[in-house]
Amino acid sequence: MTGTIFDIKEMAVHDGPGIRTTVFLKGCPLSCKWCHNPEGLKQTPQLMYKKARCIDCGKCKEKCEHDECQPYGRCIRVCPENCLEVSGKKVYAKELAVKLKKTADVLGNSFGGFTFSGGEPLMQSVFLLELAEHLRPYHLCVETSGYAEEETFQMVVSKMDLVIMDIKLADADLHKKYTGVSNEIILKNFEILRSSGKPYIIRTPLIPNVCDTEDNLSKIKQIIGKSKWEQLPYNQMAGAKYEMLNMVYPMR
Amino acid sequence: MVNKLRQYILEKKHYQFRREININLAEEFKKQNLSPVERMTQRFEKLCKMETPVILEDEKICYLRTITTIPDCYTPDEWESLEAEHYMYKINNISPNYYKAVDKGLLALREDADEYGKRAIDAIIELSDRYREEAKKQGRNDIVKVLERVPRYGATSFREALQMFRILHFSLWLEGNMLVTIGRFDKHIYPYLEADLKNGVLTKEDALELLEDFFVSFNKDSDICSSAQTGDNGQSMMLGGIDENGNDVYNLLSEMCLKASYNNKMIDPKINLRVSKNTPANRFVEATKLTKAGLGFPQYSNDDVVIPALEKLGYEHKDAVDYTVAACWEFIIPGYGNDIVNIDAMSYPEAVDTALHNDLKNCETFDDFFKSVQGEIGKITDRIHSNIKEVFCLPSVFMNVLMDCEIYEAKGKYTNFGIHGVGIATAADSLAAIKKYVYEEKSLSKDELISAVDSNFENTPELLHRLRYDAPKLGNNDDYVDDIAVELLDSFGNALKDKKTVLGGIYRAGTGTAMNYLYQAYAIGASPDGRRKGEPFGANFSVSLFAKVNGPVSVIASMTKPHFENAINGGPLTLEFHQSVFAEDDGIEKVGMLVKSFIDRGGHQLQLNSVNLEKLLDAQKNPENHRQLVVRIWGWSAYFVELDKEYQDHVIARQMYSI
Repeated sequence: MTGTIFDIKEMAVHDGPGIRTTVFLKGCPLSCKWCHNPEGLKQTPQLMYKKARCIDCGKCKEKCEHDECQPYGRCIRVCPENCLEVSGKKVYAKELAVKLKKTADVLGNSFGGFTFSGGEPLMQSVFLLELAEHLRPYHLCVETSGYAEEETFQMVVSKMDLVIMDIKLADADLHKKYTGVSNEIILKNFEILRSSGKPYIIRTPLIPNVCDTEDNLSKIKQIIGKSKWEQLPYNQMAGAKYEMLNMVYPMR
Repeated sequence: MVNKLRQYILEKKHYQFRREININLAEEFKKQNLSPVERMTQRFEKLCKMETPVILEDEKICYLRTITTIPDCYTPDEWESLEAEHYMYKINNISPNYYKAVDKGLLALREDADEYGKRAIDAIIELSDRYREEAKKQGRNDIVKVLERVPRYGATSFREALQMFRILHFSLWLEGNMLVTIGRFDKHIYPYLEADLKNGVLTKEDALELLEDFFVSFNKDSDICSSAQTGDNGQSMMLGGIDENGNDVYNLLSEMCLKASYNNKMIDPKINLRVSKNTPANRFVEATKLTKAGLGFPQYSNDDVVIPALEKLGYEHKDAVDYTVAACWEFIIPGYGNDIVNIDAMSYPEAVDTALHNDLKNCETFDDFFKSVQGEIGKITDRIHSNIKEVFCLPSVFMNVLMDCEIYEAKGKYTNFGIHGVGIATAADSLAAIKKYVYEEKSLSKDELISAVDSNFENTPELLHRLRYDAPKLGNNDDYVDDIAVELLDSFGNALKDKKTVLGGIYRAGTGTAMNYLYQAYAIGASPDGRRKGEPFGANFSVSLFAKVNGPVSVIASMTKPHFENAINGGPLTLEFHQSVFAEDDGIEKVGMLVKSFIDRGGHQLQLNSVNLEKLLDAQKNPENHRQLVVRIWGWSAYFVELDKEYQDHVIARQMYSI
């Protein structure tokens, strides 16, 4: 089974216990205005152009015959500064697992496990589950928006050792306004998570004047009760990658 | 108090006490046809007399250098004729036994010193008397009391020990010795701290403040005595490690040194830490808290690798277990090591470049080509070896007192030569590209490659891109290229194995570069790894500057595969993390665990830092806003804004692993 990933981060820090490797799956059903991994939004591969490194040599604009370059209207094999990269690679779960386990071998006992993030990892749940199977017996964590079909959510949770789930906004209208989707499914899935017996952490990004309001935070507190809760400070560099994808950062 | 002193020194207010002296000693020495040792002794006596005692208001540990330049002992033409026949060795990069002087005092050492040593000691004592007078004048009875004991007599308190050390170090620099390293400070000075704490003479807080004051003193004169750039002055302090019985040396003073360095946030002293498989995990976490300060401290050295490797080279066990680092990172024995640890440097990419141009066309297989490269490495080391003429060593009479063996005429218990190994990643990556594209895939012809390299890839942008970004790179835990690096290091070690130096010692291949990552890079053109003409190599033992690597774990995996017992001169791997990784305890703990993994895997040496690329870029544009921004260079740290631009650019180009 193949899946599309856009990054593998060794030594991720906020993604669970121990030194972990995080795999970022491409594609997300939400479109949060503050998303700091915009290349994770679309499921398909996208061209990223690192303008800051560009020396304007113009070589990429010259017509080429390479198949892989045709979708992008630019030659991606001649940049002397490596400004053009395609974000999103199709990989086989088994092959990816072999590659990932090499990192675990290096660290031995210091290795904490693997975290699946993105985008929304549950959007490629079949791939994710196969990958998880190949990565036994390492500690597995998933970072999810919680926006997925009940059955899918339940299935994935059952295969994880830790679930980190976002609850960004308690109010349904505000949620729809800022993420593009309703939070009904998310809150239902939270109940499933709560009674699953699995260790979990709820996360809320403290987006200024949107998620960090007293109103929002107290409402979320009411929903999650005694659950472990992490409030993440707003990532000041969140907008950095938008220009590379020829997108506009909505929170600007 | 310390805060005020720190500010004072950072603002360079103490420079007001400095003066240039315009005396020509060399002419007079030449006229009188004085021997080298007489010249050095007279110069030292004169300089001690000319030093003006200055005691700063807010300091406890005094002594301030007021003379900025040390006049030469030899006239230019004398020097020139000496240089024509000799390797000129001004004592540097060794680690004297300050501690026997701290314990016994200079009068006791005077008994066993030669006549020149006696004169040097007398000059030091006389200067200390003038300092005591100055202290009296200023009503500094605390300093008067200390100077009644040291330097004549052994220290009887923590403060006296620190002041004694300062006097010794000051004197060594005044004698003209460079890059004099501090050695195993915690091991030797802890008993003084312990006694003072036990007897209620000091509280822990007092002691920490005193230590911070002492640490500030390393920053007072360092600009006068720096080598390549300010910061390159050799004041390396080694903490931790084992003693001759295999016991862990790390103690309360070690811990306090980490704290003092963190609190001061100055570029000296350079904190080094010896660790091993047996080092408790939480010590790595404690040390990482210092890494967070962004000074590039501590630098780690692995006892499990270094000690057996030194023994394999012939170092006695009791000396090998006592190792410290020289100015930057070369391994040296305190008191007994008069090795010249940086006598020359071997450029791996030069070997590849020569083989590429002279022999690639004749090599049927990759193995043939690799053998050719090995041959070139051999030729370079032969060249280095035959270039080293007889050694002319300026006799440092006071250094001779403080060492535990005679060091005149470059003698010593250990007189081995260290040779840096530069650009291993560039070479390994180049060889991997040749192996893959020329020999295996046959997608690149030999002619194409050579002409592309020679034309600096001007007309082959696609080839440049492929070699630079798609070809296998060292640092990705890929045996394909990692094995090549292992073999390159072995080849270097083997090439030096049977050679004896002019002093009858051996050669030590190393993994450091010093500044050759710039100079030797400029000496060749572009390389088959996609490196363009004029681009530097990585510093010390690192991956190529532009290589896409998967992350720090992969880098550690790659860089711990080589057989360091074959090249143990020293030279660290550099890892840098974005500042934000250290923002919380969680990140600090994980970095600590990563360092432990590096050590457990047999890594030999590691320098680690916390960086902020945005800050660096801004500091280049607006230096006045970033005066205290510190970066790690190749074994020492510097104030970024004081570096020449090419050093700044190199720091910026280095790999960074941010979350």
